Amino acid sequence: MPGRGSCPDCGSAELVEDSHYSQNQLVCSDCGCVVTEGVLTTTFSDEGNLREVTYSRSTGENEQVSRSQQRGLRRVRDLCRVLQLPPTFEDTAVAYYQQAYQHAGIRTARLQKKEVLVGCCVLITCRQRNWPLTMGTICTLLYADLDVFSGTYMQIVKLLGLDVPSLCLVDLVKTYCSSFKLFEASPSVPAKYVEDKEKMLSRTLQLVELADETWLVTGRHPLPVITAATFLAWQSLRPSDRLTCSLARFCKLANVDLPYPASSRLQELLAVLLRMAEQLAWLQVLKLDKRSVVKHIGDLLQHRHMLVRKAFRDGTAEMDPGEKELQGQGQEQGPEEEDVGSSSLELPVVKRPASPALLLPPCMLKPPKRVCPTPPVSTVTGDEDISDSEIEQYLRTPQEVRDFQKAQAARQAAQSVPNPP
Amino acid sequence: MDQNNSLPPYAQGLASPQGAMTPGIPIFSPMMPYGTGLTPQPIQNTNSLSILEEQQRQQQQQQQQQQQQQQQQQQQQQQAAVAAVQQSTSQQATQGPSGQTPQLFHSQTLTTAPLPGTTPLYPSPMTPMTPITPATPASESSGIVPQLQNIVSTVNLGCKLDLKTIALRARNAEYNPKRFAAVIMRIREPRTTALIFSSGKMVCTGAKSEEQSRLAARKYARVVQKLGFPAKFLDFKIQNMVGSCDVKFPIRLEGLVLTHQQFSSYEPELFPGLIYRMIKPRIVLLIFVSGKVVLTGAKVRAEIYEAFENIYPILKGFRKTT
Repeated sequence: MPGRGSCPDCGSAELVEDSHYSQNQLVCSDCGCVVTEGVLTTTFSDEGNLREVTYSRSTGENEQVSRSQQRGLRRVRDLCRVLQLPPTFEDTAVAYYQQAYQHAGIRTARLQKKEVLVGCCVLITCRQRNWPLTMGTICTLLYADLDVFSGTYMQIVKLLGLDVPSLCLVDLVKTYCSSFKLFEASPSVPAKYVEDKEKMLSRTLQLVELADETWLVTGRHPLPVITAATFLAWQSLRPSDRLTCSLARFCKLANVDLPYPASSRLQELLAVLLRMAEQLAWLQVLKLDKRSVVKHIGDLLQHRHMLVRKAFRDGTAEMDPGEKELQGQGQEQGPEEEDVGSSSLELPVVKRPASPALLLPPCMLKPPKRVCPTPPVSTVTGDEDISDSEIEQYLRTPQEVRDFQKAQAARQAAQSVPNPP
Repeated sequence: MDQNNSLPPYAQGLASPQGAMTPGIPIFSPMMPYGTGLTPQPIQNTNSLSILEEQQRQQQQQQQQQQQQQQQQQQQQQQAAVAAVQQSTSQQATQGPSGQTPQLFHSQTLTTAPLPGTTPLYPSPMTPMTPITPATPASESSGIVPQLQNIVSTVNLGCKLDLKTIALRARNAEYNPKRFAAVIMRIREPRTTALIFSSGKMVCTGAKSEEQSRLAARKYARVVQKLGFPAKFLDFKIQNMVGSCDVKFPIRLEGLVLTHQQFSSYEPELFPGLIYRMIKPRIVLLIFVSGKVVLTGAKVRAEIYEAFENIYPILKGFRKTT
């Protein structure tokens, strides 16, 4: 700044106001001579500058983005790119990560948790835009435990007060099915196993819808159900060649991991299809089993709404006392009716459709593992007298104490000599 | 504050015909000690008004002679309390079936009706009966009672303890300082477990009722006393109560999370049940597809009952499959 006055040393007029620490000085820009050096008397505001500054304020860490946060943000962007998400998702996920970082609990969390937080932010973004991404996928990509992931996920949803919609099953079916490597012939996939994508997708969707209607999806992990449905759809499109292929082999061919519950979901789905088949006149005579019913899945799916209504009665409806007794015998009614029919008519009797089974989730159809008796109404008041003898039973006798101490000492001695000669 | 009522809370309510007299509003007050007649009772359906009427007439005849004097004294006191109740029941009266109602909910009937206070069976209520759950209509209550499964309580023994001595001289104690810094002690009756810390604080878990928890805590304190420590029994407090019940019909959890998303969290990839965080009362419910419900986070029994009565109509709404 063009100075007022001139430098006493070199006489130049280029005087600059500069501060040495917090002291204002007038310095000549030519020779560096200090013309004036602050003031002898300081005001309160001046002294404010001389007061102690806390370390965190002097480093400016609260205004800057810390190194671990920068790393986390970079990881979020990388993850979005690896998953090939649309560009807008990246910004949202980054925003969530920054928002989470505002909270002290996250800032001071372990690195493992911050790593998992990256996945949580991406997952929340995908869920909110109906992009079907499962937690399993994210955990595999991050090499994280599902337990750690779930803890962080629940915490962050609560902390940020977010509304995360459920996983959309239809979209998940579409993306998951498309990942099966069965749509082109290759050295590992013979021609008879190759299938048209659209046909398989539509049939899988119908099977998953059927599973949802018959209580096979609620409360369960969605992926194994979809795996089982895809397998059945694939088999039913060319049963003559594909019935010999097992579920495990199918997943290996398609280059997809077989989730453990998929085989039991498959059995449940086949049981539902068998019940539906019993309602179709031309299938009753065939006496289908779990393998042969696959050939007729096409027909069953075509009439699935009507068949489900006929094959199952509503398990949620109010039950009369009379019906309650029937429920227990529901499974045996089929063959019973047959016997009665044949004995009374003494003619080759066409098997009548079995009485409708209850449409309930499998956990309600299984018999209870153990009967829990209702505890008797206790008359404890909490203030009763406590007898001495009752308490004595919990105390060691002096002899026991000595024995115990001896045993402990012996154990210590044995441990301190790791390699006895 | 222990209010030990000698009558078990539920059996009393169910047996008494007084239940028929209360208007069909579930009335819960967490201030009321459990064990009075105000714990939930199956409210009779308004369709059976004729039975109600008969019962009330019989009781009127019996009681009017005995209690007229008492009523005149108490009427003034109870006027305020009754006014609130009257208002709601008079509304009910207009909705009820024709030809029967006006007499049932006449103000006179109500003052005879006891407010459970005037019968010898019930203690008189100290607080006016204000409905805490105005959202639920005057529908029938569920008739299902959540069973208490676990009570967690804490107590201060008031002296420093030497855990090594306790572990050495007690039969039912285990102490592994490398794993956890407390002695784990168990007693057989009531079947409970206690964590005893060196500061003298103790946590007692596993009891099935508040009284059992208190008795168990006292037994643990007595054991510690007998081991030579000057143990006292200070600040006994119930910290958490867990209850469970079964509504006996399957529930569409996906539907429930859609309609109540601000309270519910349903992640089938993580946990098969739906986590419902109720605001009033502040209880967390785990709802499963089989219809089993677990309620936790309560400090008093009434909160569990109230939470279940709040959730039951919501669950019934998801009873019919689409």
